[in-house]
Amino acid sequence: FLSQDSYEMFVEMDNVDGDVKIKKKKKMKKKEKLESMKKEMDIGLSSTFAQEVLERDGPNELKPPKGTPEYVKFARQLAGGLQCLMWVAAVICFIAFGIEISKGEISGYDDLYLAITLIAVVVVTGCFGYYQEFKSTNIIASFKNLVPQQALVIRDGQKNQINANLLVVGDLVEIKGGDRVPADIRVITSQGCKVDNSSLTGESEPQTRSPECTHESPLETRNIAFFSTTCLEGVATGVIINTGDRTIIGRIASLASGVGNEKTPIAIEIEHFVDIIAGLAIFFGFTFFVVAMFIGYAFLEAMIFFMAIVVAYVPEGLLATVTVCLSLTAKRLARKNCVVKNLEAVETLGSTSVICSDKTGTLTQNRMTVAHLWFDNMIHAADTTEDQSGQSFDQSSETWRALGRVASLCNRAVFKPNQETVPIPKRIVVGDASETALLKFTELTIGNIIDYRGRFKKICEVPFNSTNKFQLSIHELEDPLDLRYLLVMKGAPERILERCSTILIKGQELPLDEQWKEAFQTAYMDLGGLGERVLVRGFCHIYLNEKEFPRGYTFDTDEMNFTTSGLCFAGLISMIDPPRATVPDAVMKCRTAGIRVVMVTGDHPITARAIAANVGIISEGSETVEDIATRLRIPVEQVKKSDARACVINGGQLKDMTSDELDDALRNHPEMVFARTSPQQKLIIVESCQRLGSIVAVTGDGVNDSPALKKADIGIAMGIAGSDAAKNAADMILLDDNFASIVTGVEQGRLIFDNLKKSIAYTLTKNIPELTPYLIYITVSVPLPLGCITILFIELATDIFPSVSLAYEKAESDIMHLKPRNPRRDRLVNEALAVYSYFQIGAIQSFAGFTDYFTAMAQEGWFPLLCVGLRSQWEDVRLQDLQDSYGQEWTYSQRLYQEYTCYTVFFVSIEVCQIADVLIRKTRRLSAFQQGFFRNKVLVSAIVFQLCLGNLLCYCPGMPNIFNFMPIRVQWWFVPLPYGILIFVYDEIRKLAVRRHPGSWWDQELYY
Amino acid sequence: MATLKEKRTCGQRCQDFGHFVWNSDDGTFMGRTPEKWVYISLYYVAFYVVMTSLFALAIYVLMYTINPYTPDYQDRLKSPGVMVWPDTYNDEVLEITYNMSEKHSWMKMSECLTHFLKPYNDSTQHHCNIHNCTSGKYFFQHKFDGPKHTKWSCPFYQSTLGNCSGIDDPTFGYKTAQPCVIIKMNRVINFLPNNGTGMAPYVNCTVLEGHENVRGHVYYPANGTMDLSYFPYYGKLAQPTYVNPLVAVKFDLINQRHAKIQCRVMSKNIAYQNIYDPYEGKVDFYLTALS
Repeated sequence: FLSQDSYEMFVEMDNVDGDVKIKKKKKMKKKEKLESMKKEMDIGLSSTFAQEVLERDGPNELKPPKGTPEYVKFARQLAGGLQCLMWVAAVICFIAFGIEISKGEISGYDDLYLAITLIAVVVVTGCFGYYQEFKSTNIIASFKNLVPQQALVIRDGQKNQINANLLVVGDLVEIKGGDRVPADIRVITSQGCKVDNSSLTGESEPQTRSPECTHESPLETRNIAFFSTTCLEGVATGVIINTGDRTIIGRIASLASGVGNEKTPIAIEIEHFVDIIAGLAIFFGFTFFVVAMFIGYAFLEAMIFFMAIVVAYVPEGLLATVTVCLSLTAKRLARKNCVVKNLEAVETLGSTSVICSDKTGTLTQNRMTVAHLWFDNMIHAADTTEDQSGQSFDQSSETWRALGRVASLCNRAVFKPNQETVPIPKRIVVGDASETALLKFTELTIGNIIDYRGRFKKICEVPFNSTNKFQLSIHELEDPLDLRYLLVMKGAPERILERCSTILIKGQELPLDEQWKEAFQTAYMDLGGLGERVLVRGFCHIYLNEKEFPRGYTFDTDEMNFTTSGLCFAGLISMIDPPRATVPDAVMKCRTAGIRVVMVTGDHPITARAIAANVGIISEGSETVEDIATRLRIPVEQVKKSDARACVINGGQLKDMTSDELDDALRNHPEMVFARTSPQQKLIIVESCQRLGSIVAVTGDGVNDSPALKKADIGIAMGIAGSDAAKNAADMILLDDNFASIVTGVEQGRLIFDNLKKSIAYTLTKNIPELTPYLIYITVSVPLPLGCITILFIELATDIFPSVSLAYEKAESDIMHLKPRNPRRDRLVNEALAVYSYFQIGAIQSFAGFTDYFTAMAQEGWFPLLCVGLRSQWEDVRLQDLQDSYGQEWTYSQRLYQEYTCYTVFFVSIEVCQIADVLIRKTRRLSAFQQGFFRNKVLVSAIVFQLCLGNLLCYCPGMPNIFNFMPIRVQWWFVPLPYGILIFVYDEIRKLAVRRHPGSWWDQELYY
Repeated sequence: MATLKEKRTCGQRCQDFGHFVWNSDDGTFMGRTPEKWVYISLYYVAFYVVMTSLFALAIYVLMYTINPYTPDYQDRLKSPGVMVWPDTYNDEVLEITYNMSEKHSWMKMSECLTHFLKPYNDSTQHHCNIHNCTSGKYFFQHKFDGPKHTKWSCPFYQSTLGNCSGIDDPTFGYKTAQPCVIIKMNRVINFLPNNGTGMAPYVNCTVLEGHENVRGHVYYPANGTMDLSYFPYYGKLAQPTYVNPLVAVKFDLINQRHAKIQCRVMSKNIAYQNIYDPYEGKVDFYLTALS
């Protein structure tokens, strides 16, 4: 869709970049250039020149599109629906104040203060919201830097892996399947290179890239690969012709900026919830407004009531709390090697019910390791732990010495130099996987192998090939007096056994009769049963007769002019890619957390099964249909499928299954292993799980995994092994490729959900004690117990910090013992939560408030019974001698200050009860004593902060006339305390019953 | 992130809601079976009964501990308020405006005062406040010497107000341009107005605006004194027949017959400069006589 214009721009650009000797005006000229280029190809740019170009052109990255300007973002925070309402309220207050001023009265500053408070509230919450948005954007941005794109560049004749943003025009780069193309590249060499241009041109077919120029337009020609497209397969080398914003995609990106971000599900849920609450608030507010008008309030005053109720009811701080919770968790996860690309992924992760995991690298260590040895007619287990902390086998036998010698000598792998300080398992080896395993194994058990090999000088060797299926080498002996040659051989066990006539048992050479052959077969089968059959090596040796093969004998490896049969069998060594140490625990954790772990691997079914059994994906005692059939000696068809817990399905079978059959299999067998699967089949498996209503997390590393990663509810890419394509498609990246990190993620996800719930429950509770004063005020006509500004202060000042602090709450210890939640049914705010908060805890808080209110009134002279029905007289501005219960006479202002005192004691009551509330919200199920009161330091400081702020509001001079807070008597702080204790005790009883009687009526009704 | 984004049509939502109201599969009505509704209702009834009784207990304890004679605190009553009668307001401003030639207008004023002075009727006072008080001294009573375990209250006779008592002139001067107003100071338990040794508080009225319209004013009783024997007040229970001492002021209006007047009770411990309480220690009012 890019027209000729852009091509001209493209050419122009090239002209500008004169230093780089690529011009594409004419094909002929280009070809000449190409020839000259090819000479330079091995060398690339010099680092210093590249540095200069980098300084000139800037880094190779797209400038973030000019997003909404910061002031607009800030303004948006100030102009939400509720904020607008509050602006209107403020304006009304100003008008009211203006009217009073024009009347020439100076006494009524109330309206002015209320207006200023409202504006302050809007601005402060706006600042907070803006800051949160800013911070969470930054967190996500910083995560991007944690997983930088790498590129293989040739500079100064050396291949280097550098960050893609350091590339400059003229750099030689290599790309291979799975890589993201690091810049616009002109391909110089290519082997079957195909790219996916779909993001750029919309072509969904993979496009071949080759050095030939096939078209005038850069978008059509085959020899240019574009920045940010993905190389699907093959290898290519190319010269960078454009970097950063000058690339084709860069220009498009700057054209197509301003694509709005999608709202995240949790944000939608929260907003939906806030909308409902706001609706309720406006309904209530309007009702009160009408009632207030009826009982003779001025329009403006009634309007202010309306505003107060709306403000009181709408949890403005909630979205901020959610963002804080999510970004906190994302940070915490990043420390545990989980990088989250979208914040809401954290929350979804918590509801995961199926994890489809790769085997290699995720569940296993991704390195072959010697697992078992068979010699002296016994199977010995080797140490397969990552840090060599396990038990080793008995190394005293003569046979082991012989076997060890064969294994060390008949091995072409070597350590890369200068790695003496690196622990052996981590050293880099040149050689294939099984030889590497053997080298490391012998290095660990025997000692310095290079030295050892030096003592047995190698005369000649025959490398492994697929026809021989063995590898042999001939060595001189260590003892210079012993002139015999030693022939050592390793290979496929059957092949080795064919060539042997004796077997080494406890250092003795015994003839290899049928009995020993049977023993060998049994051992071979046993090792196979451990899933190691594919990588078992047999080892044998023979001392060549010194008469037949004297020193200086020319061994011809092609002719095989030496003995290769009648050898002496030393033993078998089996290898496996062992599971990571943390994985069995993690799988166990998943199991207790009600999460199924399904293994999806391209590996051999037996190996897959062995690893699955090893890490606990197939638990001990679980059988597959085939196992049952073997055990009962009946045909597979007769076995009842539901009897088999485990099931191993290989790719071939999967291909023949209909989706219904696959669903059935997934439903019937809780323990599933898919082996020999292709990445496309991974997608099928994910879809099947989702049909069954699961929330699926999928791990993947290859390009072909991208569809599955996208389809999954949570795509998890591998940070080390993963390709750029996979990382792009994923929601989360595991920096250490470790399965256990996923489980940590799940735990954090559940934690965040729980904490949000707690925070919301806390926030909701106080709405009732804020609303009941109005209710009682209007129905029973007592002097108003709680004022508008006071409510604003509770909502927006004192209670914000504690509600955020609940995000820092540690998990209740049994968080991973519960079933995953069903996101369609178990909502963030459910009925139990709202009802319990509103009608139980909120009710107790209201009673506390009224107790304190009546106490303050009675002690100042107004007995409760007198208060009832007092409103009209109390609020009569013209009544300056209203008698209290003692016969004392009060002016209007004196009564007003008494009313402020009531506001303050009610405020204090709510505060005290909210402290009890925040303490009970620490846990939903466990006792607060089990959770510990001081473990959440933030919460403790939030309570202290709340108290300090409360005291400041009460006792700071000037408060009465500004914010209607009065310095109250100290003992009124303690009146609500019994209610606080009641809240705590009541909730402890609730939790106790919930713990004791899971599933009971109590649990259903009172557990939120 | 695929599954959570499924959209539901309105029809489906309605159906869901219907299903919520009555679910025939498991016999639930609004999410609960009738049986469960009974249980949960009972639970809430019990909960609120317990909470209400706790609340009632708390209030009972509160009232039990409260002294019926004197309030625990008088934080808001540091200084008594002062008010003027007739208490006619125009919005929130005290305006005593009357029309001398309109009977209806001035009758309203005089009736207000007549009504106000009813408890001060000489015979009533003589009947219920029979104690002879020594004037010029605080009337401290540490014991309940009065009838029915009360304390004595000093009588205040309407006749003390002389020309403004309404006995001789039931119009209180409102038929002419010499209207009477009555100043009353609010009673506060145990409050002792203090003007130095033995000096009683007195009312002092000043003209704030329209000096030329006021020829002069006369206080009843003389000097506008409030006798010390009326203090301290011991509360409704101890002194059920207590009456506040009053001071009447008769103004002589001339010219436009319109003035803003401030009447202040002069005492060392009565504050009057609180901008937030215009009625503390003083009262401001407009006095207008129309013809």
